[in-house]
Amino acid sequence: MKPAPFEYVRAASVREAIALLDHDDAKIIAGGQSLVPMMNFRLAQPERIVDINAIAELSGIREDGSDIVIGSLVRHAEAMRSPLLARHFPVIAEAMHHVAHLAIRNRGTIGGSLVHADPSAEWPLLVALLDGEIVAEGPDGCRTVKADEFFVAPLVTEIDETEILVAVRFPKPAPGAGMAFDEVARRAGDFAVASAGALVSVEDGVMREVRVALGGVGDGPVRATAVEEELTGRVADKVSISDTVELACEGLEPETDIHASAEYRLSLVPVLVRRVLERAVLRAGAGAA
Amino acid sequence: MNELPRKTQGLGDEALAMARPKYVGKAVQRLEDPRLLTGAGRYVADIRLDRMVHAAFLRSDQAHARISAMDCDAARAMPGVIGVFTAEDFADIPVISAPSRMRDYRATKCTVLAADKVRYVGEPVAVVIARDRYIAEDALALIEVDWEPLDVAADAESAAHSNAPLLHEELGTNILFERVFETGSADDEMAAAPHRVSGRFRIHRKTPLAIEPRSYVAEPDRANDGLTLHGSTQVPGIIRDILSGLLDLPGNRIRVVAPDVGGGFGGKGSLYPEEIAVCALARKLARPVKWVSDRSEDLCSTSQGFDETIEAELGFADDGTLIALKGQVTGDVGAYSIYPWTAALEPVQVVSFLPGPYRIPHYRGEVKGVATPKPPTGPYRGVGRPASVFVTERLIDMAAAHLGIDPAEMRRRNLVSETEFPYRIGSGIVWDRSGFAECLDEACSRVGYEGLRRLQQEARAAGRWFGIGIATYAELTGIGSRISVAPGMPINTGTETASIRIDSTGAVTATFAVASHGQSLETTLAQIVAEELGVRPEDVRVVHGDSGATSHGTGTYASRSAVLGGGAAIVTSRVLRDKIRRVASHLLEAAAEDIETGDGRVFVTGTDKSMSFAEVAHAVYSDMKALPADAREILEASESFDPVTGTTTTATHIATVEIDPETFAVKIGRYLVAEDCGRMINPLVVDGQVHGGVAQGIGAALLEELSYDRTGQLLTGSLADYTVPTAVEVPHIDVVHLETELPGNPGGFRGMGEGGTIGAPAAIANAISDALSPLGVGVTELPVTPERLFRLVSEARNKTDTEK
Ligand SMILES: Cc1cc2nc3c(=O)[nH]c(=O)nc-3n(C[C@H](O)[C@H](O)[C@H](O)COP(=O)(O)OP(=O)(O)OC[C@H]3O[C@@H](n4cnc5c(N)ncnc54)[C@H](O)[C@@H]3O)c2cc1C
Repeated sequence: MKPAPFEYVRAASVREAIALLDHDDAKIIAGGQSLVPMMNFRLAQPERIVDINAIAELSGIREDGSDIVIGSLVRHAEAMRSPLLARHFPVIAEAMHHVAHLAIRNRGTIGGSLVHADPSAEWPLLVALLDGEIVAEGPDGCRTVKADEFFVAPLVTEIDETEILVAVRFPKPAPGAGMAFDEVARRAGDFAVASAGALVSVEDGVMREVRVALGGVGDGPVRATAVEEELTGRVADKVSISDTVELACEGLEPETDIHASAEYRLSLVPVLVRRVLERAVLRAGAGAA
Repeated sequence: MNELPRKTQGLGDEALAMARPKYVGKAVQRLEDPRLLTGAGRYVADIRLDRMVHAAFLRSDQAHARISAMDCDAARAMPGVIGVFTAEDFADIPVISAPSRMRDYRATKCTVLAADKVRYVGEPVAVVIARDRYIAEDALALIEVDWEPLDVAADAESAAHSNAPLLHEELGTNILFERVFETGSADDEMAAAPHRVSGRFRIHRKTPLAIEPRSYVAEPDRANDGLTLHGSTQVPGIIRDILSGLLDLPGNRIRVVAPDVGGGFGGKGSLYPEEIAVCALARKLARPVKWVSDRSEDLCSTSQGFDETIEAELGFADDGTLIALKGQVTGDVGAYSIYPWTAALEPVQVVSFLPGPYRIPHYRGEVKGVATPKPPTGPYRGVGRPASVFVTERLIDMAAAHLGIDPAEMRRRNLVSETEFPYRIGSGIVWDRSGFAECLDEACSRVGYEGLRRLQQEARAAGRWFGIGIATYAELTGIGSRISVAPGMPINTGTETASIRIDSTGAVTATFAVASHGQSLETTLAQIVAEELGVRPEDVRVVHGDSGATSHGTGTYASRSAVLGGGAAIVTSRVLRDKIRRVASHLLEAAAEDIETGDGRVFVTGTDKSMSFAEVAHAVYSDMKALPADAREILEASESFDPVTGTTTTATHIATVEIDPETFAVKIGRYLVAEDCGRMINPLVVDGQVHGGVAQGIGAALLEELSYDRTGQLLTGSLADYTVPTAVEVPHIDVVHLETELPGNPGGFRGMGEGGTIGAPAAIANAISDALSPLGVGVTELPVTPERLFRLVSEARNKTDTEK
């Protein structure tokens, strides 16, 4: 379990990192929590490692007009503790509690997590749920990619090997929107067997905006659009929700692996969707729950 | 026993020093902790020697294949590589085979590296020696092997067929052993029994998974043409003895030392090809050779455990009285019969312990072990008993449910009772008096069993799946020379020797052949020696795990070290204390009978005359005027102890679980263990062993499974896929200690290091079955994962749907 030989370089700026990536087989290292295990198993054998941890412009969480911008180097633990995120997206901290263990959360980054693109990971689901936009910079400059275009396949994203994910932009939700996240995993800290997130805004007892995202049941995060459409405009109560949750399974073809069969995964989808929707409705209007 | 008797308060120093027991039974803080917790421990991986080189093993990625060609040239040519070695380089080392006197047993032949074919994924086929481990692993990638794949029968059932592909052609079969145990007439009585329950039970393969993986450094001693192996092993004595033969070196030129060892759980209790290889290469290269297993290697090369299918049936009367038990055990034992325990170790213990602590007049148990293309199985904490207790305790609950009797009451009616000991169960094991019923009753009362049953009714009424599970078991521990730890094994595991000496400074060193690797023996053995000799535990240095320090001894496994090592500590300390008293009688001018020891001093009772151990030692060794020449006794003693038979340890575990009816997640609520391990040496240590054991049992019950596909490939090759319980999955565990009657060994000790793992799988399986009983679902397969529960419940629901 020793990695194959590689060259290590530390970049001081995004520009420098992009220059260093102009190499046959270079890879960025952020928190190293996914890349290093892959290298130790020799599943990844990059010739050059470009360390971006010293690049100040990739850090920090800030407000930018109607958006909240999270720098790609923001660690899971930092996101979990951020007052700014807690105000606008309490669901992020709720989800981060499920990401791995303390030591991994202290190192792992939002950027690494999104580019690694594990279908069961929490950040991809959150980006899908919160209509996040990924900001990438390459030799030809900056571009933004929407969540539904970003995740191509398990461990494959829209981002090019010559590009750096610099930040993620989240539009602030309508005031009073309720949010919730839940998942089923074998043990605390394991990747989810299935996960779900919801965002609901309620006006006069009626659901106005409904968003539901699922993890662990597709090639990447999936929006349960059938549920979203069906629930929009319905009375915000348990009956409407339980009437609708089965729709979340529409079109899903989850994988069978040693942790869970496709059938078991599928059986969890309506359960999780109901749980997060009920919780989100309860929290809606109540501000950050 | 926990506090000094009140009347000793206010007495003089002498009386206080001599108050007994002073240390045995006390919660003495672990003496090894300051070292281990401050990073001052020394594990094999910490050993760095001059000119040391590093080994990496190329392992088979095929389950069953012939090696048609191997090309190591590119690897050999790599800068930093010192050599690449294959089977032919070890041709002078005899083939390894684990003998047994058991009838119908077939030993397998194993070479250090696979010679012409491989028999499991992970089997070593070549070894690279390089300047560092990185280079060694880079070179592995350059070795090319041409495989000729052979047919694979990946599970015991298919491998047992007469036309199955043979792993060891010379044996003519994959069945390595078969055995039958019979008492009474189980067939007839079963047929005649008014009630019967039965099931086909399955417990899946596990890995011992010590935090520290197996590691070895072989250090040649060129001056004496000798060798020291620093190994993370539980059995340095066994390894020394076999290596002496394999390497043709007398025991005084080969030494096996286990330094600090980070857990074993049975996985470090056998002989491994890697430890032979590093020794042979260190001699060949005349340089120290180091190999530290990585986690992936550990998961595919350390001995594995618990892989059985058990068909069992229980017959009983209207009032619940048990009549007959039948069991057929098929063990999936892996590719080789492991040295020294043999492949029979685990499955034969399953069938031996199946009757449990119950009065069952008629028993028939059949067992067979089948070779499969998987890593060899070996000892794993609990050996056989976790499986047998799972089966028997499930059957008892099924019988109770069948008759509508409460499970606790069902057990009470059938446990061997006080007046029946010693009791011989149907497999031939004899239980000595131990608190079978006492533990059950105490566990029920402490856990508030009646109250839990009421809680369950409320929970059920609210649609919740809440269950209570009981497991009562007995095990044989501290086994002496009349019984073999493994069936028919020709080595002696039944005795232990202690050598205790007081040196010229008056300091006490106690040497044992046991090898503590987490059991706290440096504390508990020191407590015993301190107690018997009259010094403080912290004044006793315990030396263990070093074959160079003892003439014979096997190590630490099978819940033996407290009973055998502790027994040897007592008998030896007593001999040494008599020497001290005789010498002191000259120095203090009193009769030896009037001399007592305590707190490192020697007293004449009833007087104020006393002297320190240091002064006695000075008189014996240094001040040649102090004693007449014929009264100078060297302050050393060496005695052996043999408990001859074994002693019975018992416990009852009670668990409650709640299952999420939608996600099938299982949450353990209460967990209580009431156990009788005889006299406790140190309650902190007993609690720690129970806690750790239960955690492993929870793994067996809910989480841990090595899964292999049909081609023999390991699917759970990392700790992301092989899921062990973490602190989050382990509940608070209450432990209650009973001391019903002390066994007839010098300390009154019973072994208890494995018990937690033995009771937990059954208790949890029963709790889950109890929770699901309204659905007619019972657990027959472990681990019972959410996936398995989902299937069980879905099937039950489909069945009731179609019946409607
Ligand atoms: C035991 C364990 C359990 C885990 N459990 C979970 C879990 O439950 N949920 C979960 O979500 N995750 C889990 N993880 C993964 C963890 O969250 C990782 O931190 C995360 O997936 C990767 O982030 P990183 O910063 O460590 O990325 P790295 O490992 O450094 O990189 C991962 C990949 O992203 C690329 N990359 C990194 N940053 C950038 C960037 N800015 N631009 C372009 N490419 C980039 C790298 O080149 C690499 O290909 C677990 C990890 C471990 C070891």
